[in-house]
Amino acid sequence: MMGAMMGAMMGEPGDARPLIELGGLTKRYGAITALSAVDAVVHGSIIGLLGPNGAGKSTLLKCLLGLIPYEGSAKVLGLLSRAHGAEIRDRVGYMPEQEAFLSGMSAVEQCTYAGELSGLPRTEAMQRAHAALYYAGLEEKRYQPIDGYSTGMKQRVKLAQALVHDPELLFLDEPTNGLDPRSRAEMLELILDLPARRGCAIVLSTHLLPDVERVCDHAVIMHNGRVGFVGSIDELRGVRGRDVELVVEVKADAARLAAALVAAGATCEVISAVALHVNLPASATSGLVFERARDAGVQIRGLAPRRETLEAAFLRVIGQTTATTATTATTAAATTAGAPPPDAGAPAEGGPLAALKEAS
Amino acid sequence: MSEAAPAPAPAPAGTIHDLGYKRYTGARQATSTRWQVIARNQIASVWKTWWRYKLALGFAVITTFVFGGLMFLLQEREVNGVAFPSGIVATLSDLALPWAMTWYMRAAFLLSLTIGSSVIARDMQSGAFTFYFARSVRPRDYVIGKLVGMLAITATIMLAGPLALATARLALSDSAEHLLRLLPIVPKALAIGALGTLAFAAVPLGFSALLGNPRHTMALWAVYYLVVGGMAYLLARLMLNGAAALDITMALEGLTYDLLDIVQIRGRSKRVEIPMAVTSLLVHATVAISIVAYRVRRAHLEGIGGSS
Repeated sequence: MMGAMMGAMMGEPGDARPLIELGGLTKRYGAITALSAVDAVVHGSIIGLLGPNGAGKSTLLKCLLGLIPYEGSAKVLGLLSRAHGAEIRDRVGYMPEQEAFLSGMSAVEQCTYAGELSGLPRTEAMQRAHAALYYAGLEEKRYQPIDGYSTGMKQRVKLAQALVHDPELLFLDEPTNGLDPRSRAEMLELILDLPARRGCAIVLSTHLLPDVERVCDHAVIMHNGRVGFVGSIDELRGVRGRDVELVVEVKADAARLAAALVAAGATCEVISAVALHVNLPASATSGLVFERARDAGVQIRGLAPRRETLEAAFLRVIGQTTATTATTATTAAATTAGAPPPDAGAPAEGGPLAALKEAS
Repeated sequence: MSEAAPAPAPAPAGTIHDLGYKRYTGARQATSTRWQVIARNQIASVWKTWWRYKLALGFAVITTFVFGGLMFLLQEREVNGVAFPSGIVATLSDLALPWAMTWYMRAAFLLSLTIGSSVIARDMQSGAFTFYFARSVRPRDYVIGKLVGMLAITATIMLAGPLALATARLALSDSAEHLLRLLPIVPKALAIGALGTLAFAAVPLGFSALLGNPRHTMALWAVYYLVVGGMAYLLARLMLNGAAALDITMALEGLTYDLLDIVQIRGRSKRVEIPMAVTSLLVHATVAISIVAYRVRRAHLEGIGGSS
């Protein structure tokens, strides 16, 4: 939630208009709260939407497309989805995870039909169907019935039918599901190419963190109906703020530099003769490393902030969100029952590892 | 093409193809026109396979030619046991249309079995609701589009056939006075055809929305039409005359004979009367459309998923 608010407050100077704005978005299915007062402002060109099963991603997509009623507000491309659902769906492309084909149709027919259903005139829809299918790599196979396509070809058709009406924003739901490594790489290349070539932003809903790491510049992490993080991937991986953890590469004798830094109050771990991890003491900056290296006569070849892996960052955010949710729920219950609140740091049921297992 | 005009962004070899992209700046069709696209696609898709639509259409065309031919060749032959209320014995040309209706209904049933009774189930099975509702298609656009598509397809059998025979009957009139006297047969044929079209388009569509498996919905419709219809007919013969209205065939047959003022003197003389027949057909259609609307509304809310 803090991450969400942070993302909301930070904004992005380069982006004039956020792609998605959520304000107190709440969705309940009877007694179950699928989305709980979600606040977020989403920028970026390729945004990874991450979260384990039941996190609320599907519900969020439905709210954004204006398909279900909800409390609060949800804006897509500056339009309120509650009032302008149809208009949003004309400007947004959606590539579903599951098969969504009409039996007996060829890829060209289906994409043309998709274009017409999005408001394009028939001739325009047909021309764009050919172009989108060619772009997706189907070439001459686009005239064959979809029923006989392989999984990879079907994924390409789904991408093409999401693109055919020239959307400004694409929702891609597990686009690399079931693809062999080569097809997966090709699909990711297409996703990477889309913002530059067609000027459309992408929201990529996936469980595959390597895919997100490869193509996404921003991420939204959801868990238990809440947004745990909104921001750039760099912020996610180095979200601790000041770069106190460094990876230092030296020409030789890393152990000598480590000893000098330890004497200055840092914590070091020598990885090899030419590399070490450094954890700087409070209030110190990277200048300390250069200073001690000069004193110790060690030549520095490289210095970079030590980032978390995306997987570790994801687990951390999920863990924080789980703890926050559990604390909020228990505090509410305790307030009602008059009992003291529990330890905020106590592990909640279904912790981060469980979440990852569930996600994978 | 891409060699002559280099793409704006570098692309890995073999994966990115581009025919030259330009952002669409033209106007988009109003959302209220989506049903027309769906109806047109429904018609186009059934035309593709010969056994789904063309078979039933061929059956109806043959029916028209056979009864048209009989009307022309044996126009003066009187048919015993069938007369007008005035007592005048009906000729074969008078009876060609009501007799042909039975065969048009058979053709329409064939059409409903191969197409109408599986339309919604096919979409449910293939995940097509996600395809539709991720776009600016509202549930009512879908329902109206599918219904209008089915009405148009069924009308080529149930409406066009009777209308052709009614027109042929006019052409065979002896004099201007006779022609004027026969003229009401055209709006009557239109009314019969329109109600028949509605029944054979909407009711199977309703059955197709009951289950998610096309084969099951086809079987369900066939059982309803043949078995339940047959039971209603038997019930009507044994005790309850009104029960015959539950059978779509009997209701349409009764409507046809009553509207054309033909009385069967011998055999099965008692038929379903017009108010009961019309009520039955309209109730059938209303219930069916309500089922479709309910099912589509539910699918609209559930049809789009995120990652599972």
